[in-house]
Amino acid sequence: MNAMTDKPSSQPQNLRTLSYSEAIREAMAIAMEADPTVILMGEDIGVYGGAFQVTLDLVDRFGTDRVMDTPISELGGAGVAVGAALTGLKPIFEFQFSDFAMLAMEQIVNQAAKLRYMLGGEASVPVVFRLPAGSGTGAAAQHSQSIEAWFGHVPGLKVLQPATPEDAKGMLLAALADPDPVMIFEHKLLYKMKGHVPEGSYLTPIGKALVRREGTDVTIVAGSIMLHRALEAAERLAKDGINAEVIDLRCIRPIDHETILASVRKTGKLMVVYEGVKAFGVGAEISAMVAESDAFDFLDAPILRLGAADAPVPYNPDLERASVPQVDTIEAAARRLTRREV
Amino acid sequence: MPVEVILPKVDMDMTHGTLAVWHVAPGDEVAKGAALFDIETDKAAMEVESPASGRLHAVSAKPGDKIAVGTVVALIYSEGENTVEVPPPPVAVAPVSGPQPIEVILPKVDMDMSHGTLAVWHVAEGDSVTKGTALFDIETDKAAMEVEAPATGTLHHLMAAPGDKVPVGDVVAYIYPPGMAVGPRPSRAATATLAEQPPNPSAAAPIVAAKSLVNSGFDGNMRATPAARAAARQAGLTLAEVKGSGPMGRIQRDDVTAHLEGHSGEIRGSTAVGPEIWSPQFGPLHVSHRKGAGIPLVLLHGFTADSQSWAPLEKALGPDQPLIRIDLPGHGRSPRRRLRSFADLARMMVEAFDEVTRTHDRVHLLGHSLGGALALAIADIRARNVASLALIAPAGLGPEIDGASILGITRASRAESLAPWLRRLTATPGGISDDYARAAMKQRNDPALRAAQVDMAEVLFPDGVQAFDLRPALARVECPTALIWGRKDHILPYRHSLATDGDFAIHLLSDAGHVPQIECPDRVARIVEWHQSGALVGKR
Amino acid sequence: MTQPDNRPFAIRTYAPNQLREALKRMYLIRRFEEGAEDSYMRGLIHGTMHLSIGQEASAMASCMELTDDDKITSTHRGHGHCIAKGAEVGRMFAEFFGKETGYCHGRGGSMHIADVKTGNLGANGIVGGGLPIAVGAALSAKRLGKSDVTICFFGDGANNEGAFHEALNMASVWKLPVVFICENNGYGMSTSIARSTSVKHIADRAVAYSMPGVTVDGNDFSAVAEAVHHAVARARAGEGPSLVENLTYRWRGHSKSDRNRYRTKEEIEEWMTRDPIARFRAELIAHGVLDEASADAIEAAAIADMEAGIEFAKASPAPSISDVTRYVYAEN
Repeated sequence: MNAMTDKPSSQPQNLRTLSYSEAIREAMAIAMEADPTVILMGEDIGVYGGAFQVTLDLVDRFGTDRVMDTPISELGGAGVAVGAALTGLKPIFEFQFSDFAMLAMEQIVNQAAKLRYMLGGEASVPVVFRLPAGSGTGAAAQHSQSIEAWFGHVPGLKVLQPATPEDAKGMLLAALADPDPVMIFEHKLLYKMKGHVPEGSYLTPIGKALVRREGTDVTIVAGSIMLHRALEAAERLAKDGINAEVIDLRCIRPIDHETILASVRKTGKLMVVYEGVKAFGVGAEISAMVAESDAFDFLDAPILRLGAADAPVPYNPDLERASVPQVDTIEAAARRLTRREV
Repeated sequence: MPVEVILPKVDMDMTHGTLAVWHVAPGDEVAKGAALFDIETDKAAMEVESPASGRLHAVSAKPGDKIAVGTVVALIYSEGENTVEVPPPPVAVAPVSGPQPIEVILPKVDMDMSHGTLAVWHVAEGDSVTKGTALFDIETDKAAMEVEAPATGTLHHLMAAPGDKVPVGDVVAYIYPPGMAVGPRPSRAATATLAEQPPNPSAAAPIVAAKSLVNSGFDGNMRATPAARAAARQAGLTLAEVKGSGPMGRIQRDDVTAHLEGHSGEIRGSTAVGPEIWSPQFGPLHVSHRKGAGIPLVLLHGFTADSQSWAPLEKALGPDQPLIRIDLPGHGRSPRRRLRSFADLARMMVEAFDEVTRTHDRVHLLGHSLGGALALAIADIRARNVASLALIAPAGLGPEIDGASILGITRASRAESLAPWLRRLTATPGGISDDYARAAMKQRNDPALRAAQVDMAEVLFPDGVQAFDLRPALARVECPTALIWGRKDHILPYRHSLATDGDFAIHLLSDAGHVPQIECPDRVARIVEWHQSGALVGKR
Repeated sequence: MTQPDNRPFAIRTYAPNQLREALKRMYLIRRFEEGAEDSYMRGLIHGTMHLSIGQEASAMASCMELTDDDKITSTHRGHGHCIAKGAEVGRMFAEFFGKETGYCHGRGGSMHIADVKTGNLGANGIVGGGLPIAVGAALSAKRLGKSDVTICFFGDGANNEGAFHEALNMASVWKLPVVFICENNGYGMSTSIARSTSVKHIADRAVAYSMPGVTVDGNDFSAVAEAVHHAVARARAGEGPSLVENLTYRWRGHSKSDRNRYRTKEEIEEWMTRDPIARFRAELIAHGVLDEASADAIEAAAIADMEAGIEFAKASPAPSISDVTRYVYAEN
């Protein structure tokens, strides 16, 4: 029994907390139980339980035929997932780190994203790729990137960024129900975060952003871990009478234009906060989209983007922290915006 | 490339002609226009003239040959061009059907190639070639490419010389297989090239025309946010009037608000109305909706009225007609705006109309009095969106107006001073009761609204004269148009409808005054419905 | 006393009507490629094309035992594979002309012809792109308990791509029902095997992935059919993947822009004397499956099909411009 939900659940009777990774695991178990064509593929996802322990114990329940440890072969493995999806299976392929997806770009971008179109609608590739992303663990430059914007640039893919355990579960189930290839970027620092997660099966709609905090003075669009930092910044701003409206982006392709535009028409001031490198990132797309829209006439200040520094992710923990937006920097930027210092 | 001499079609139903006699010989110099040969047809013989000056070569038809229209019978080479001599073919008839020699084409060898230059021939006219023999080289942007014979036979009708730039797919020679008689050069009818295929019948990509606001004047080089610009435009301000408090002196929306509040003490125009003061407001015009089925009817009320005045007509139209009512600026629940001219007001109404047509592409339009003039202006500019236009006693079709009544209504601050003027609106004074006047005054009890309307009247009807002329618009308007007028209209004379050029219906109503939609709403409703459905005949 | 049957494998194994159909398809491949080439040279076809003239036996013999449930993945030089797997030439021409009636509704072109419903998972524009996909298709078959096999066509050039090694390794580790068929025509575009590949025969690489590998004369129909027959049987029996290397040659350049500067005319002409179609035809006639007249009739039928296909394609409508973003995502 599926239920569509677009609001964070607040009913006391379903008050149950899971961690983000437990929520994902629960989604996988529900899906694999219900549909024998759902299989998991990835490096060390079987008895090891996955590098971030997301797939822990699933192999005991479903066996090695359905929880497949792959050799270290990202390109080949992703291609096997594509071929399997093309021919009747529903694979969930885990990249151990999102950075390793670069080895598989050929199969993701040239094959999975394009097969339906190149074949004139006669093929379907319902594959799901899961990617642990982001910095903050000291894993340094090649294991800490946020490259979701690269895939936002590719027609044929859908790109998701759940920020909460509830969404992590619902979005994975929605991705499995989607006949097109879906990439889900999970921030590593969120895996242990706990939150309300409804029981049973439900689908979080793909392509809908969510206003997590209503406000009138400034619109802050943020996804993944930045949502939580933006909400914290909004609390601080509220004490000084600055009411920020915080929108959880949730989906990078397709972006929910209307939710963002409705907010901009209301507040006239927009900030986009994301962990990808600032230049050529998600914020650039949202800024341009707003400037091109009818909401342009409601802008009362320049659009601000807060993204990562223009450098590979540093190893030193202070540098690492300083290289991405934090609660302080989000708060400061919102103040400058509402105090008309920009 | 040499110029082709073809056997021309000289009669409407001609498919072949017989070459009767040549007037020139191969190798001769010919001048453009000189007689080359005669054709015998079903009618009289016809002389065929040279299409160019040069030397005649490659003659491939002899007297007595029956030749298909369009067949090349010779070539004319200009000075300096290489020539290739073609001996007269042994067989005279060149049938359109039957075995054809094999075409040697200039092939496409690179992805983005449209032409190739023939660099050199490796064989000559009349040579025997086997399949695979190198015939010629093409020069392209990359290295030269050898082109091989596609078949075995003898090579004839070479049609390109070294250095010629040839379109891809064009024939450059023919190969006659062993046993096939060499005939005149075949016509090009058989092979359709990409250019000859019928044009793509699919629709062009839909172009969405952005409906931009009519430009209210360019405030270039001032730093101002988009929101501030929109607010200034709506309040009728120029940015130069506003002080900016943002970075680099940027004008922000609050600056516009502050400016408007700070200037609230000013009164424009010479008709001072006592201590009443008003300040312009910004924001969109007030629009109200009634749901229904089908194409909506947009209603524009008249001066000093508001959307509620449509109530009797709405009842008479029945509950199914969807309605969209717009309050004019300074009326009803719309913001008060400063106007400098009728054009300003029309601009504001077009802006509101454009917002309506974002969701309803086509609408019926009905306006009364000043609202009628505005409806006419909208139909003139936004013809595409207007399915039909109905005007009840529209303003703008002549100079005359009962200015005293207008001003009287506008200024009246009590029911007692309003009633006499209201009574001028109907055919007979009895149409307006004291209760009606009291209710009407309640709607007008905001002095700021009255003051704004007084200023509007000063702009639109100065000295009791209509200062705007919409007769050219009425003559131009494209959609089905009807004028509805009471014969006893004391405010705007019905004869304005007759003095105007254009195609439209006139409905004159006996015993009706300036507000027939209130005096006899059923009669007006029938006319409106009849007019709307008539406009849609053949268009559904 | 029974005589040992020394006839070629194909003659022994397949019924006469199957052999006739195989010859017809080989003629169809040849004439189709020539027809496509002619249309291209006349400027009717956009882009470029990669012709497989000379490789017909490799394509057809490899597909002899496949049903619509078995899968193939193909390469940029895949027209022959498509026809061998049963594609209609009219719809293939329509695709080349960019028409709505093409296999891919004009969206894919020569390098992406596919017919998923009949098991053709598509030609692929990326060298090595089809290898992991083929392994995925084999994985599906195994997981879903089906007896389908997947034939993965690839060229000598692909055998140096990382994807080749990853795919063969996984197919072997997971014992998947896939047959890797390398059409070694000696050149990866302009670079010869000798200059690019560190083994003499590509089949030598099979041992690195613990699967059988065999090299055969790719222009000998029976040799190819026999090798593939064993590989397919092995796969269907659940014994895992195999690698078959068909030595063959392409008569035309890599693509339509190829000036053939990396090989000699003599080499091309020498291979042309070993025309796989002529050899197969002669073999069938020699063993009484056909006579000259019926062989000619088969060829004529193939030509007629090809010409009808071109006419169909020319008369077909083009896609509408307003549909440029259709098929990017699933339609509800």
